[in-house]
Amino acid sequence: MAEDIKAKLENYRTAPFDARFPNQNQTRNCWSNYLDYHRCQKALDAKGVDNTPCDWYKRVYKSICPMSWIQKWDDQRAEGIFPGKI
Amino acid sequence: MAHQAHAYHMVDPSPWPLTGAVAALLLTSGLAIWFHFHSTILLTLGLVLLLLTMYQWWRDIVREGTFQGHHTPPVQKGLRFGMILFITSEVFFFLGFFWAFYHSSLAPTPELGGCWPPTGITTLDPFEVPLLNTAVLLASGVTVTWAHHSIMEGERKQAIHSLTLTILLGFYFTFLQAMEYYEAPFTIADGVYGATFFVATGFHGLHVIIGSTFLAVCLLRQIQYHFTSEHHFGFEAAAWYWHFVDVVWLFLYISIYWWGS
Repeated sequence: MAEDIKAKLENYRTAPFDARFPNQNQTRNCWSNYLDYHRCQKALDAKGVDNTPCDWYKRVYKSICPMSWIQKWDDQRAEGIFPGKI
Repeated sequence: MAHQAHAYHMVDPSPWPLTGAVAALLLTSGLAIWFHFHSTILLTLGLVLLLLTMYQWWRDIVREGTFQGHHTPPVQKGLRFGMILFITSEVFFFLGFFWAFYHSSLAPTPELGGCWPPTGITTLDPFEVPLLNTAVLLASGVTVTWAHHSIMEGERKQAIHSLTLTILLGFYFTFLQAMEYYEAPFTIADGVYGATFFVATGFHGLHVIIGSTFLAVCLLRQIQYHFTSEHHFGFEAAAWYWHFVDVVWLFLYISIYWWGS
């Protein structure tokens, strides 16, 4: 039991340091990766190519963005009122 | 008979500072009452008292300076410093609104789409009416300088003509800006773009109206022979204020209308 938890803890990963966003306020980091994932997905799907390379951005934004923001932006995209350019 | 042994102006007791203070109290409390209880009585009272105070106080200053000779060179120097300090305080007032604009526009938040102008905002074309407005105010700067030189050279009719032209240009600006406000595709409630746009340009427009009024008073005084070629500080103060209004517009145009589009 303790070994499982320890192993689990050791495998935890988060987004690595991104020199483009060196300061405490990581909002831009979250926003940038959210946009990049969806742009990547849109671009590769348009070409009909596998969009696995996009997963990096997805993992970064899922790690560092607050869940409420992701939810809000997903809802906005569904309604067609997302303010960002994808 | 007692005479003063100095060139300064020891002002006679006057009720206008008190009425001005009461007006300020009525305006502020009146605003709060209007917000919460929908009544405009205090606000109206405050406005009337303010207008009466301004009219009578400044009328008294004209009497003291032009008719009673109290505005000696040292006194005039004090008035000059006063006007310069006042205009400086107004510069800081506008600086605040420019700070607000740049704060929001240099690092646009995700709510805006991470871009400026924000997503969904159709900005005004800076090369249409705003450019005309710039030309109008620059031209009015030229005409007010013409008026000043006319006064200094004793050219009464030219002074009246150029001062009138300056005021008409001021009215033209106000009219054009009012049309722009009416036709604009966005309102003050449209996010931080609308807020910064209308608060900054709105206060500027108010200052144009104040400046035009000041110039109009000068026109009336010029017609009534108040100004001499050597002594016309009221006009100079109005001209300084008018140039200040023009400069603020230039900053507004470059920052909000042009760069901000």
